[in-house]
Amino acid sequence: MAAQQQPGGKVKVTFKQAMEMLFPYVKSRIAGQIKSVALIIVYLILFQTIVLRMAIAEASIIAVGLALVIAGLAFFMEGLMLGLMPLGEIIGLKLPQKSKLPVILIFAFILGMGATFAEPAIGVLKAAGSSVKPWEAPLVFLLLNKFSSYLVYAVGAGVGVAVMCGMLRFMYQWSLKPFIYVLVGCLVIFTMWAFLDPNMRALTGLAWDCGAVTTGPVTVPLVLALGIGICRIVGSARSGSAGFGVVTLASLFPIITVLTLGTVFRGEVPKPMEEAEFFSTQNRDKAVTLFTSQEEMYGYAFMNASEESQLALFDGSKEKMLEYIKKLKEKETERSVVFPGQDADALQRWAALSGTKEQRLAIFDTPEAVREAVTMYSMNGQILKLPDLLRRNGLAAAQAIIPLTLFLVLTLVVILREKLPRSDEIMLGILFALIGMMIFSMGIELGLGKLGNQVGGKLPSSFKQIELTDQQKTIVGFDPAVVQTATTAEGEKRQFFYLKSGSEYETLPYKEDAYDVSTRKYTYLPTKGPLFGTEGGLFGIIVVLLFAFFMGYGATMAEPALNALGLAVEEITVGTFKKALLMQAVALGVGVGITLGVVKIIWSIPLAYLLAPPYILLLFVSKLSTEEFVNIGWDSAGVTTGPVTVPLVLAMGLGIGTQVGVVEGFGILAMASVCPILSVLSVGLSVTRKRKAALQEASRAFQKGGAA
Amino acid sequence: MTEEKNICKITGIFHRGITDTIVEGLESVGIVDYQLAAARTLMLQEKKGLFGLYSDTVIVEDPADIMSFLIPAEVEEAVMNLMIDKGDMETPGRGTVFTEEVIIVKAHRLCFENEVKPFEPKSTYPLITELTGICCIVQRGEGNFVARVALDTGTCVPGITFGHGTGLRDKLGLLRVAIPAEKELINFAASKYDADAIMALMIDAGKLDQPGKGFIYLYPIGKGLVNTKITRGMPKHAASMEQLIAAVDEIKRGTGWRRRTASEGQDSKSKRAFLNDLTNLILTCNAGRGEDLVKAAMDIGAAGATISKLKHQCPSDSELSEISPAREDCNMVVGENQVGDIVEALDKAGAFNDNSHGQVLVSPIPKACTYLGK
Repeated sequence: MAAQQQPGGKVKVTFKQAMEMLFPYVKSRIAGQIKSVALIIVYLILFQTIVLRMAIAEASIIAVGLALVIAGLAFFMEGLMLGLMPLGEIIGLKLPQKSKLPVILIFAFILGMGATFAEPAIGVLKAAGSSVKPWEAPLVFLLLNKFSSYLVYAVGAGVGVAVMCGMLRFMYQWSLKPFIYVLVGCLVIFTMWAFLDPNMRALTGLAWDCGAVTTGPVTVPLVLALGIGICRIVGSARSGSAGFGVVTLASLFPIITVLTLGTVFRGEVPKPMEEAEFFSTQNRDKAVTLFTSQEEMYGYAFMNASEESQLALFDGSKEKMLEYIKKLKEKETERSVVFPGQDADALQRWAALSGTKEQRLAIFDTPEAVREAVTMYSMNGQILKLPDLLRRNGLAAAQAIIPLTLFLVLTLVVILREKLPRSDEIMLGILFALIGMMIFSMGIELGLGKLGNQVGGKLPSSFKQIELTDQQKTIVGFDPAVVQTATTAEGEKRQFFYLKSGSEYETLPYKEDAYDVSTRKYTYLPTKGPLFGTEGGLFGIIVVLLFAFFMGYGATMAEPALNALGLAVEEITVGTFKKALLMQAVALGVGVGITLGVVKIIWSIPLAYLLAPPYILLLFVSKLSTEEFVNIGWDSAGVTTGPVTVPLVLAMGLGIGTQVGVVEGFGILAMASVCPILSVLSVGLSVTRKRKAALQEASRAFQKGGAA
Repeated sequence: MTEEKNICKITGIFHRGITDTIVEGLESVGIVDYQLAAARTLMLQEKKGLFGLYSDTVIVEDPADIMSFLIPAEVEEAVMNLMIDKGDMETPGRGTVFTEEVIIVKAHRLCFENEVKPFEPKSTYPLITELTGICCIVQRGEGNFVARVALDTGTCVPGITFGHGTGLRDKLGLLRVAIPAEKELINFAASKYDADAIMALMIDAGKLDQPGKGFIYLYPIGKGLVNTKITRGMPKHAASMEQLIAAVDEIKRGTGWRRRTASEGQDSKSKRAFLNDLTNLILTCNAGRGEDLVKAAMDIGAAGATISKLKHQCPSDSELSEISPAREDCNMVVGENQVGDIVEALDKAGAFNDNSHGQVLVSPIPKACTYLGK
């Protein structure tokens, strides 16, 4: 290639030649991504079909989704390499040369803030906290709902300060270690203190998860590249930091800011209490403070609280409540306040799916209409709306990438007065990243997320009996005469009937309220489990823990931000620290972390007990490790929890959480962050020891030889 | 400011663990202006697998630094002895250091050699004179495979750095993104008598005479000390083979005794066409400027360049600190008669102004090989 001497100007390439060049390029990128996601996909499919012995629902949509994940990742990674990372590095190179420290710090703060707004992790946290009840954890409920914007600001400020500190570190070549000692020390003490207050205790999970999820797949590579660029200018050639470390700070600072935010609002919320007490008249004023309005509280109570609590809101009078509901049916404006949401039939859907008998009647007037509505709304599951899917994910991708890159390009051109080198390539890269992000998140939603939900939802069946809510079945023309009576060993009577499905005869317990006399329809939910051992038995739980470990491991291998970090590390160390080694270490750590997170949920162990020991241990291990590995190890913690891991972990966490009845699914992500640091630092210690030994071996051998 | 000047370039490839002590030693005699490139070195290690049922020789990698700086020729030996002393490099397994005679064709006024007063080194070491440098540029990922030749022939521990290539690729428009530009540069010193044979082996290993595979060339080395500890593991004898070789080198005052191949006539049967009498033109400039400058050189006829990142070090209180700490080397192999035109073109493109702080070094390339077209 180098030998073909040709005078300037472009070379004309025929279409065929262009294809010959493009084909291996595309092939290698796609093959790379297949390799990285194959593990988790094959694992989930095999687990569902072989271990849980269930068919995969919506298999064709999931297959399309998985193909989209692969194509999306290929585009996105290429976009990172061509566009976002070079852009970050150029700015990193120019910034310290052309501007003063205050400008750099302001730039860093805006970048950190902007990155948080661009990639809002709040959606993830809301999902993790979707089962948080206002009476169980008022403070968390407040911050996730009414004051969720404050939460985003707090996290944003945390990341902003973190990037600022990161830049200061680079400029003055400070070690990362003191930052870690001080921050982690503060955090451990803060968390311990928070543990004493029931409201704050629930918040610690949210706060630690905030730290884990804030750094997304766009932010991490940008910040890394920026740091690498700056270190080429300012750092001494001998310093080991070489641009890493910002991600670490960006995962630690938000924990502090969120805990601080919690402390501020702590006085304004009621203490955690029983549901009935929460909705009682005496507590009304305090309870309302958690919602934006009284109407919203009514809506929340209708959707999530028991009938007694709902009645309590209307002073125990059923008539008042039904009147209120009827009024809602007529007045659209009020309805949209109580039942927020875009669709006009939110009220009807609520009534049909979760309303009581009287509430349904109040809405649909006649029993026949009720029955019709119930069948309609329960049949009417999620319909795939393609334009909506495209629009939503396209918008999210644009929001994550365009403002940030625009900010960077403007900084480069306007403040640094430099032109964008290789602008065509960088623009192409940004376009790739945009397309990739969009396709990728669509793929997650359609493919990996769905698959994860299926497996996660059914996972508890390995240790307890669960109802398969998505497989509700109806027997038409049911004759109660087939019902028989059986007895338990204690002499209690149980009713059951036989169902012939296919060529098999199946025994089903008979439940009176599932039989609709007027239509002669019997609806039942098939159940499954416990697949291994007895109800709640240890063997079944071990299967779940093993699943959690391998899922964490597999998902981590597919994380784009970790891949980018691995490539950056390999480049900086000229291949002596291989990407594969780093990813293996991190993936093992995440696997262990997620397993511990599941342990936390199953036995509802307080998070502080699980977080404090590894972090305290980390302080010592960090002290022993070299600067190089401290930076890389702590950074890898921040990047582990990305778009592949998070939905899978949440699906599993919530699946188990709902079955064993815990307050929230927080904390798994925090656990998945701390364990990889330990594993990477351990690898680092061993590598450092070997290298030192190699150098010493040379001297030793020489002395021996010299003596001889 | 711009006259041609013969000076001595010292290159050291050593384990990162000893960089600091060597730097300290050099700074004490006034060598404060130097460049470092992150690199890795390779060694062979015997690995027993699966209960010792089989064993395999694998490559292990160590982080290393490649250091280079310019000094007046008269202090060459003293400086090398100092480096060897400071880095304890006479012990095999710690590093390689060698000198080249180069010409500064043109440079920014700050980018010249270090001013070193003659001094007496604490101890003197036998330096080998009959060495030839081998530099090989291959696609990223193939470095270890090709560099293993140096280990398998027991020649030297090679140093590998990363770089990226420009050339035909940049004339393709945006389609260029489909062609990987990432390269690896393998660098080591071999006995003058073995260099041709080793080069031939490397060409075979990397299929370097086929299109798009890479480039290899030899360059003359003044004197040096070579790290010959190519295997890792506990010694089985009172002295290792590397030490014996080093001892015989010392007794024989050279590497001539090591000759294993008749250097002439062997290659003729493979009918491999070599390029002869080329010139190595190294442009060192501030990071970010390399691509534009190489483009200017390519417009005038240079085939392309391999650009690699460097870190420039100098005292922060000196005038030298105007030079950006982030630098890059643009390594171009050109015809001898092209040098004048290219330097002129580089000058026009601003290579020697305060924005680029450029420096052009040339040295001869007696023999090179790559795909030469049909």
